[in-house]
Amino acid sequence: MVRLENIGKRYSGGNEVLQDVTLTLDPGGFYFLTGVSGAGKTTLLKIIYLAERPSRGIVSLFDTDTATADRATQSALRRRIGIVFQDFRLVEHLSVRDNVALPLRLAGAPEREIRENVPELLAWLGLGDKIEFRPATLSGGEQQRVAIARAIVRRPDLLLADEPTGNVDDEIAMLLVRVFERINRLGTTVLIATHDVAFARQFEHERFHLEQGILSAVNGAVLQ
Amino acid sequence: MIGGWLSAPRLDLPLGRDASGRFLPWLIALMVYLSGLGGIGLMLLGDTLAEWNRSLTATLTVQVPADASAARLDTAMALLRQSPGIVSARLLPPEETARLVEPWLGSATPVDKLPLPRLIDLQLNPDAKVDLAALRQKLASIAPEAQLDDHRLALGRLRAFAVHVQGVIAAGVALVMALLVLTVVFTARTGLAIHQPVIEILHLLGAPDGYIARQFQTHSLWLGLRGGAIGSVAAAITIVVLGRAASTVDLPAPLVSRGLLDWRLWALLVLTSLAAGVVAMVTARTTVSRGLARMP
Repeated sequence: MVRLENIGKRYSGGNEVLQDVTLTLDPGGFYFLTGVSGAGKTTLLKIIYLAERPSRGIVSLFDTDTATADRATQSALRRRIGIVFQDFRLVEHLSVRDNVALPLRLAGAPEREIRENVPELLAWLGLGDKIEFRPATLSGGEQQRVAIARAIVRRPDLLLADEPTGNVDDEIAMLLVRVFERINRLGTTVLIATHDVAFARQFEHERFHLEQGILSAVNGAVLQ
Repeated sequence: MIGGWLSAPRLDLPLGRDASGRFLPWLIALMVYLSGLGGIGLMLLGDTLAEWNRSLTATLTVQVPADASAARLDTAMALLRQSPGIVSARLLPPEETARLVEPWLGSATPVDKLPLPRLIDLQLNPDAKVDLAALRQKLASIAPEAQLDDHRLALGRLRAFAVHVQGVIAAGVALVMALLVLTVVFTARTGLAIHQPVIEILHLLGAPDGYIARQFQTHSLWLGLRGGAIGSVAAAITIVVLGRAASTVDLPAPLVSRGLLDWRLWALLVLTSLAAGVVAMVTARTTVSRGLARMP
């Protein structure tokens, strides 16, 4: 599914943010990626969703070497990934419905399917009455659920979530992880990045830990 | 239905909110207006040339000196009527000749006292080739100072001039189209810069470059067609006004005088509007595709 080999990342003039990171995410797996702020979690996720290129190493997504993939192939790979960004990155001028519909439209889904599926998903996430709202009029928690809806609406092969529990209380955080677990049971591989090690420990899932750019495996996770 | 057509298409990028998007239709309208008028000018000139061609290449004028006797005139008329290729020959009465020169000499001049030559108006068969040299020779044997005026010489000079004018108009239209392309390039580049954050989100969600370029091309097509429609309507109004002004003058070109009844006017304006939309669409797509290829 995802294979990183000896990944190094250095921004111009700075220290190495990631050092020789090697990991494998298996199909259907559920993983946590923990580490304090600045440990390199977001950089690692960006490399997986092809927003950043590593300074060295090999990134293989769905059995495709991303270094040699052309732009069209990279777009196709990204469409198989659902991303919950730390800052949500909702499109401000679009309604909640159109934000969530974006991945479906990018995949060329018929409008009929969009009209049926999007409201159903939003209702499931408790946003049934916010469909026509603009993101700016929603609370932080509601925006986060819209971001989650957008990430899962196409049932992606891989779901990446960057600090999805960072801005919510423990009860909501627990509910969000349960949502991710339900998606995972449908076959999606899930990787959740969080700075809250104690929170991640509450679950039985495999865990990777980043510290100063060096990745270690915890709780059954395998690096190679 | 009409409201739906007039409203902008649904886009993921907020292109309709750009200031450039508000001004572009008016710039395109101005360019289409100028191009439309230029095209109409080309058509008018073409019509005028065709009219001259039709009326002047099929006529000749013979000038016989004023002192020629009636017998000589009769002989000359008989000769002309029998010559191959000449359909008819009409001897203009002296009063008609006087009326023809009066605008140049003024009403105070006693035209009827002047030794004006007698004019013979000849109608030719357009398909027949008249041997002018032989005709001149025969006329000279009857009336030695008679002159045969071939309008084709003057027409040739007029045609050459008109072709130059057509070239200048066509160059002007091409220049306006080039300006249209540059304006759309600038607008598309500005749009790429303004909407880079949203474009980045779309890219991260897996939008191929073609999907984003399609948004710009759809938007530009819409702006181009809207501007084209405005410019075409303005050009049509101009033609109506010109047509009304021209109705008091007997112009050879039928387009102005017939105004909106001429189907070619509508075809030209519709084609110009469509061309503006297509040029704007293709330019935007090309510009944006190149810009996106440089993005990470």
